[in-house]
Amino acid sequence: MSNLTVEAKVGIFVVIGILILTYMSMRVGGLSFKRAKGYDLNVYFDSATGLAEDVQVEIAGVEVGRVRRISLENGKALVVLRINSNVKLTKDAKAVIRTKGILGDKYIELVQGSPSAPPLKDGDRIVKTVPTTDMDTLMITLDEVAKNINRLTDSLANVIGGEKGEASLSSIVDNIKEMVETLNRTVQENNDDVTNIIANLSEFSETLNKIGDTNREDIRGIISNVRKASEKMEVLIAGINDITSKINQGKGSIGKLVNEEETVDNLNKALASLKTITDKINRGEGSIGKLINEDETVENINTSLVSINDYLQKQDDYKTYVDYRGEYLFDSDELKSYLSLRIQPKEDKYYLLQIVDDPSGKEEVKDTKNADGTTTRTVETDKDALKFSAQIAKRYYDIGLRGGLFESTGGVGLDYYLFSDRLTFSLEAFDFDPDRNAHLKFKADYRPFKHIYITSGFDDFISDEGKESFFIGAGISFADEDIKSLLSDIPIPK
Amino acid sequence: MVRLLELAGRPFLIAVEESGRIILLLISTITWMLRPPFRFRLIFKQMEFVGVNSIFVVLITGTFTGMVFALQSYYGFKMFGGESLVGATVALGVTRELGPVFTALMVTGRVGSAMTAELGTMKVTEQIDALHSMSVNPIHYLVMPRIVAAILMLPVLTIVSDFVGILGGYFVGVELMKINSGIFMAKIVEFVDLEDIFNGLIKAACFGLILSLIGCYKGLRTTGGAEGVGKATTQSVVLSSVTIFISDYFLTSFMF
Repeated sequence: MSNLTVEAKVGIFVVIGILILTYMSMRVGGLSFKRAKGYDLNVYFDSATGLAEDVQVEIAGVEVGRVRRISLENGKALVVLRINSNVKLTKDAKAVIRTKGILGDKYIELVQGSPSAPPLKDGDRIVKTVPTTDMDTLMITLDEVAKNINRLTDSLANVIGGEKGEASLSSIVDNIKEMVETLNRTVQENNDDVTNIIANLSEFSETLNKIGDTNREDIRGIISNVRKASEKMEVLIAGINDITSKINQGKGSIGKLVNEEETVDNLNKALASLKTITDKINRGEGSIGKLINEDETVENINTSLVSINDYLQKQDDYKTYVDYRGEYLFDSDELKSYLSLRIQPKEDKYYLLQIVDDPSGKEEVKDTKNADGTTTRTVETDKDALKFSAQIAKRYYDIGLRGGLFESTGGVGLDYYLFSDRLTFSLEAFDFDPDRNAHLKFKADYRPFKHIYITSGFDDFISDEGKESFFIGAGISFADEDIKSLLSDIPIPK
Repeated sequence: MVRLLELAGRPFLIAVEESGRIILLLISTITWMLRPPFRFRLIFKQMEFVGVNSIFVVLITGTFTGMVFALQSYYGFKMFGGESLVGATVALGVTRELGPVFTALMVTGRVGSAMTAELGTMKVTEQIDALHSMSVNPIHYLVMPRIVAAILMLPVLTIVSDFVGILGGYFVGVELMKINSGIFMAKIVEFVDLEDIFNGLIKAACFGLILSLIGCYKGLRTTGGAEGVGKATTQSVVLSSVTIFISDYFLTSFMF
């Protein structure tokens, strides 16, 4: 960094600023370069209250365009919509002004027409609209309802209230009173008649009694019929008796089955052996018995099922990623390449194997003892040598910890994941040596696409050998199913 | 009686005189800006000093401003269940107000004071007169690069501050307070307009002009040796900060 010119430093700084500004603008403004594409549609609304230019146009809640212009034409509001060109609408589509949220932001919702209708082209008009149900119209309706209620209560008040109403109410009460009095009087006056009615009733029951007496003959006939039926029943029962006696004597196949000793013996024996089998099973003898009786067996089956499940689960979780990244080092003007294989058995841990082609090469320090007791140190640099990294990594929520070999030396690393892993900040420290500062590296990876990412950071920024360098780079990574299947054939210990 | 009136009138006259001088300095800077040689090296050097070297201060103040803003607005919004608005509040506050103003204040403290001290020392040690005698205009050689650099660099610092401020707010809101990250971002996108960001940057450029202009003016007007330099530096920082706050109100009322 120190040997960067002033211009370069300012340049990098400004570029970072512009990149951030561009990113934020794209996110916030929804700026995209496709914006100019699309076609215009005209809609006439009776009222465009609350609608503004650049308000979104949606179909089924998905934004498909924006309001371009609102103007007055023949006393109606002409709203020009710019619809994305990939959205096809037909002539019988409907436009509705709707409200969003409690703050009442207005937007336009389009309802698709039937697909068979002719399509809408640039400059066409959407004919069907639904009038707005905004707060104002709601208020007007409520107002009418209130007026109706008012009228009703008014007329009620007219009927009941006032001298006239009072007079009619009191006359109603008077009428009721009169009616009750009349009823009372009627009952008292007709006391004798009531007594007569009761006498009539007792007479009626006596007559019923007499009818029973006169029909005695018929009743007798019914009883004799019942007697005949029971005699026939007796014959039927005798027949059944006959069949059972035959069975008893061993006649016919049912009789044999029931009567012969042999059959019974056989049945007995079969039952006995069945009993010994179940006894054995109960005591846990034999393999079935063991299977059923011993808890261990059941547990074994359970655990093996669990472990099979686990294994299948692991196969599913298991992921391997192949990754290539190149970092352009500004200071040495060279490219540093990394080829890595990430084996990820679980979401929260992975193993990383990496081959690094470092342009500065691999250093080998040799101390040789001289005859006079001093030591000479020679540093050999092998420019072509590859470095290797092998790391284990564990992740806790958004923080990742790594440890192992970093570029052929021991070290540790820390990762912080942001925006659902699209942005990663990493700090690595390795190559610890008492004679010089450790190698520290800070980098930020941003992944705009699924398989491609860009990276930037400082390499070796506390170096006391002038190796510190700013770098930018890019990489590709993807999940490799072939390597995965190769690796997951190897049994995994539980 | 007359003395009493004089006592009241003098500070006012001084204030008017000072603002007039500052505006004169601004006008002559603008005229010198258009005359060759353009001295790009000097401008770049000042840009490094104002921009690149201030980045860590701005990163830290920006991040923590966003974080504490998120925390406070979270407690407020929680009272009526509006936690989802924390992101939008933080983003709006940071891009419109806190980013530009705090960045300008930090740069005033770091850079404005340094400008005054530097020019003031040159003034009291008669180096500026020496420039004159070499027929190099001190405004062209000293003031113009500083002002240009401050105007150009303040927006860049501000956008960095905005970004890390929102990042800090995201960290507190999503990671610590467990607001849904999708809602958090969606609300930011919904409520923050491009205008908010750009107006913030315009403000920042104005603040850059103010702090560098006042810094240079106070430096060039320094008298009275080392003590004078110290006094001028203090005055410069106080005057710049106050002017930034006052102009912030008027800029905001014009723009939004």
